[in-house]
Amino acid sequence: MNILVCIKQVPDMESKFKISSDGQWYEQSDLTFKINEYDEYAIEEAVRLKEKLGSAEVVALSIGPERTKEAIRKALAIGADKGVHIHDDESHKKDSFQIATIIASYAKDKNFDIIFLGMQSQDRASAQVGPILSELLGYNCITTIVSFEYQDGKVNVKRELEGGIKAKVSAKLPVVLTCQLGLNTVRYPTLPNIMKAKKKELITINVNELLNEQPRVINLKAYIPEKKKGGIILEGKSDEVADKLISILKEKTQVLR
Amino acid sequence: MNFQLTDEERMVQDTVRSFAQKELKPIASDIDKNHKIPDSIIKGLAELGLFGVYIPQEYGGAGLSFLSYAITVEEISKVCASTGVLISAHTSLCANPIYEFGTKEQKEKYLIPLASGQKIGCILLTEPEAGSDAANVSTTVKNEGDYYIANGNKIFVTNGGYKDIGILIATHDKSLRHKGIDAFILDLKSEGVELQRNEDKMGIRGTYTSVFALENIKIPKENLLGKEGEGFKIAMDCLDGGRIGIAAQALGIAEGAYEKALEYAKERKQFGKTLSEFQAIQFKLADMAMHIEAAKLLVYESAWIKDNLKNGASYNDLIIKSSMAKAYASETATYVTKEALQIHGGYGYIAEYEIERMYRDAKITEIYEGTNEVQRIVISKQLLK
Repeated sequence: MNILVCIKQVPDMESKFKISSDGQWYEQSDLTFKINEYDEYAIEEAVRLKEKLGSAEVVALSIGPERTKEAIRKALAIGADKGVHIHDDESHKKDSFQIATIIASYAKDKNFDIIFLGMQSQDRASAQVGPILSELLGYNCITTIVSFEYQDGKVNVKRELEGGIKAKVSAKLPVVLTCQLGLNTVRYPTLPNIMKAKKKELITINVNELLNEQPRVINLKAYIPEKKKGGIILEGKSDEVADKLISILKEKTQVLR
Repeated sequence: MNFQLTDEERMVQDTVRSFAQKELKPIASDIDKNHKIPDSIIKGLAELGLFGVYIPQEYGGAGLSFLSYAITVEEISKVCASTGVLISAHTSLCANPIYEFGTKEQKEKYLIPLASGQKIGCILLTEPEAGSDAANVSTTVKNEGDYYIANGNKIFVTNGGYKDIGILIATHDKSLRHKGIDAFILDLKSEGVELQRNEDKMGIRGTYTSVFALENIKIPKENLLGKEGEGFKIAMDCLDGGRIGIAAQALGIAEGAYEKALEYAKERKQFGKTLSEFQAIQFKLADMAMHIEAAKLLVYESAWIKDNLKNGASYNDLIIKSSMAKAYASETATYVTKEALQIHGGYGYIAEYEIERMYRDAKITEIYEGTNEVQRIVISKQLLK
């Protein structure tokens, strides 16, 4: 089985973000980058499937500047077999359609059976790359999966819906799956595997070889919203305060109905 | 000059840091209180490959750089100094001499289980009358043909309580001083090896510091490490590498305490301001950070020299820098933990805040693997020769 995992390197979300000088995105310097959380679930699930099947190849792909290789190396240390780095110093300016197009042009003649992605990136959060990719490739697509099973050419997954409901969904291969929190617990790459990853193949392709499309969605401005004012302080007698609190909880939250 | 870690080294740092923060940090106080590192942690460390970071993969290790090993000990010691020295003593004082001086058979039999973490290693060197003066050991060995018979007493054996594998340093003729010393690989479950007690200590209370009585132990002749008379050289070589391990442990303790102090200074309010708004505290933080950065450069450079001996780095440079790193990082650890406790005020004295543990843990780094006075002898000898 051929498995593709698409990962993105994003800043550590605990960083202090500054808006870039063109006003359209955040400043990239002085940030620590790591693998997008949801993409880690995707890697882990792909590697688990490979281990279960015994014979499968997992390819880890990432688009971005030189530093992106570090994310791919980590995927290789977790257990992917081969890395593909699509070199693009301007990847942060690409929209979801362009990113999906790049992946689709790489994947179109490779006969991948399953493509795992994170359900969204932590920095852009559009959650569109997976679905667009499936359209471009003509694959089935299931988003936000929280459990996964493969059997006889079919995937059986659970999806988490709003309001505490889950759904069981099944689809035939080839399929694109986007992974949600709760799917698995990602293993630590062991030190011997970090060393072994060094010897695994990691190829680099220039983005211009794969993309000839203009963005369809343009980021106009990125900004840091004004800080919300502190909470409301209720004053008065305790029974009045309690009544006010109850009415606020009823009106503004779902704690009381 | 290149001050950047390699991709692998950064990944090691990331992996060990995540493990330390998620698995070890929440139980570091319990490790101190219960005088024991849980088996589940030791299993976790073994699964990650932390018991043989720079030992080649063919002998059960991860085959990474010596710098990766220093980073491992540093990251672990940031949250738990006991676990830091567990790894350091095991690697530098037991796995390392077998790796450097062992035969192929010895490596296959003993190094593989050590480097993969199935067994925990130690060295039986110090005696009541021989510490830094290692040439003065009185534990005797007698060559009986197919085996040796050993008798004596050993103290301050870090990791001894696991009773797995130890390097025994003993003499076959005390009048020969250091030329009469041999090193052996000793199975601590052998008959005649008596673990008398594990000491009650000021700090690193999660580790075993053991006292052994050795009575007529039979050691197979194939367990002699190196040749007869090479024991002193082997012991000294262990300590040369071990210094970097302890320096890394001290660096980690200092960083762990500094991070806590920084966080606390930003949160704690007095007179309507956070502590971090008072210049007295700002200067303390600046001084702590300066010492830590200087210590880190010395520790990393020493490890880098060890990694580059084959590429022309100088062995004398290694000796002097690793002694400097050990002395400077350990003095940084005692200084930074003291200041971090002071920033915490009365809360720093309370066990729950963990700073008092770090303060207690720091002191040993000025003492073991050669006291800082001995380090200064080593340094000045190199300077004056």
